[in-house]
Amino acid sequence: MKLLTHNMLTSHVKGVTKGYPLLIKATEVKVNEVEFNPQFVNRMIPKLEWSALVQAADGLGQRQDLPSELIPDYEKNEEFLKKVHRVLLEVEVIEGSLQCPESGREFPISRGIPNMLLSEDEV
Amino acid sequence: MLGDQYLQLQPVPSKTFSMAPSADCHRLLHINGPTVICHICYPVIPVSTTRQPTDMSSQEDTGAEQDPVPVEPSSVPSSESDATSGEIITVTIGATVPTGFENTAAEEVKEKIGADARISKDRGRIYFPISTDKLYQVHLLRSVDNLFVVVTEFDHYQFKESKEETLLELQQLASQLPWTNALEVWKLNGTLKKKKGHRKGGNGPKEKRNSDVMGERVADAEQLQQPEASPAEGLTKAGSGSDVETSTQDSDEAAPENKLIKFRVTCNRAGDKHSFSSNEAARDFGGAVQEFFQWKADMTKFDIEVLLNIHNEEVVVGIALTEESLHRRNITHFGPTTLRSTLCYGMLRLCRPQESDIILDPMCGTGAIPLEGAIEFYRSFYIAGDNNDMAVNRTLNNICHIQKQRGDKGSASGLPIDTVRWDLCSLPIRSSSVDIVITDMPFGKRMGSRKKNWDLYPSCLREMARVCRPGSGKAVLLTQDKKCFTKALTRMGGLWRRLHTVWVNVGGLHAAVYLLKRTTEMFGQTPEDVRESQGSVHPEGNTEDKELS
Repeated sequence: MKLLTHNMLTSHVKGVTKGYPLLIKATEVKVNEVEFNPQFVNRMIPKLEWSALVQAADGLGQRQDLPSELIPDYEKNEEFLKKVHRVLLEVEVIEGSLQCPESGREFPISRGIPNMLLSEDEV
Repeated sequence: MLGDQYLQLQPVPSKTFSMAPSADCHRLLHINGPTVICHICYPVIPVSTTRQPTDMSSQEDTGAEQDPVPVEPSSVPSSESDATSGEIITVTIGATVPTGFENTAAEEVKEKIGADARISKDRGRIYFPISTDKLYQVHLLRSVDNLFVVVTEFDHYQFKESKEETLLELQQLASQLPWTNALEVWKLNGTLKKKKGHRKGGNGPKEKRNSDVMGERVADAEQLQQPEASPAEGLTKAGSGSDVETSTQDSDEAAPENKLIKFRVTCNRAGDKHSFSSNEAARDFGGAVQEFFQWKADMTKFDIEVLLNIHNEEVVVGIALTEESLHRRNITHFGPTTLRSTLCYGMLRLCRPQESDIILDPMCGTGAIPLEGAIEFYRSFYIAGDNNDMAVNRTLNNICHIQKQRGDKGSASGLPIDTVRWDLCSLPIRSSSVDIVITDMPFGKRMGSRKKNWDLYPSCLREMARVCRPGSGKAVLLTQDKKCFTKALTRMGGLWRRLHTVWVNVGGLHAAVYLLKRTTEMFGQTPEDVRESQGSVHPEGNTEDKELS
């Protein structure tokens, strides 16, 4: 699971109102090389919940001094964009779980695939 | 063969065509490089050397490939059109594409090759010109299933009354056709494929989708690590089609002339008025081809596949440039309903993925659609999801396979795609965060059921509307259950707007691809939404109101 995906995922346990962001508990993390495209990163940043991204990266020890808030004029800062690229696309959680911040319900991650299925009584 | 002297119109020897020329003949012209042949009366007429087959497609569409040619005697052949000296020639390429996506394919041809493609009356085929120096480009096309080079085309072939006469004429035809250029292209194509370790889409028996295929494919794909030329090339699913190496490869393999060429004829026939079957045509035409070239006929291990395509009065003779269909190229791990990649490509092209678009496939099956996207429209990000355990695992395996191939070639292997296991009626995705939803919805025949669709489709469409960005979001949905779909859609008129529909054929079933636009309406606030959330869902939508107290 890449952190870009994590940024989109939310808990949908019944009754939960603050199910985002999910807390990551990782037992295995990998870093893969993905081709860097600055324009892609630039256009993606506004679609992200920035603090959730930083928090997630931090939790995995992959923060690389990313700021808690977006700096102005980041568009031209290639070094910054490369860091963002790395945490968005290259860092992957292979084994672990995602935890709903409100209910505590855990969703397992196996082979990089989070299992977000709820059981019948949870829906 | 055919020279470019100007021959007087004279009665044609009975060996070829039995029609006498008339003063107003030249009704069925075929352009072959610097020469033009009238296939009815059969004289050879040289034309202005600047004439290119492209001119044919820019004519207003009468559907006729042959246009009245200004007959200008010219005896200076252009070196450009000289087939035998190895110079650049221009030929017509035919491509089979998923029915319904002819326009998409033509667009891709225009974009990647710069040629104007003509769509055949025989659905699922397009034709376009290309010069031999650009031939490799045809292998970059992602929307085509099969490619062939046209030997000759007849727009209005006049079949004889009786079967015997018709078949006899077909036999006679074999020795009269302008094979030279097409064979040159076939040869050239053979060398191109060796150079790039071409991807043979490898489908074997048509449309076989069961999991037996899976084991076979994986085994073959594992063996095939060297993309270089080898006689036992087997089946590979190399997904990255754009890595044509231009360095000179070893050309040790015997040139076709030095060894006995094996061939087969494949005939596709459609139309009610023919007196013969495709087998008969293939057999007789093939017999004559064998006579003429002294090749050996072999139905399974052939070097050259001659295509004889007959659709009513349209007859096209071609030579295949692709061995097996390319349409399952990315997938090594099949599932019961895996879509062919060319269809996936067509669907993706329809929604025009933009840079950094978040693209969701909530019922991904084996991941064919998002994987094709991650490879071909790689500037977006794909999230593939399914509720089925086997499906997500197969998706992951398919992704890993492609990534490993890329890694082996030394390039950055990571693809912009992730896989999640989820319930599509309750997506664990933030609202309004997705740009495109693209998926193959259960047909009810191969998976799911009609009854299930009644309940599934509305919930699906609602959830998709929730996660999709209002105003700019889009959906591209393939389904065979058109009735159920359109009904479900009318109940969410507030959230989705129909932009376009493409009628397609999927494994013999008539299906549709719906392109939808997400309206600016906020989710949960349209009248339909309010009713939906208050009442329960009924298949006959209009009983809903009665439910509200």
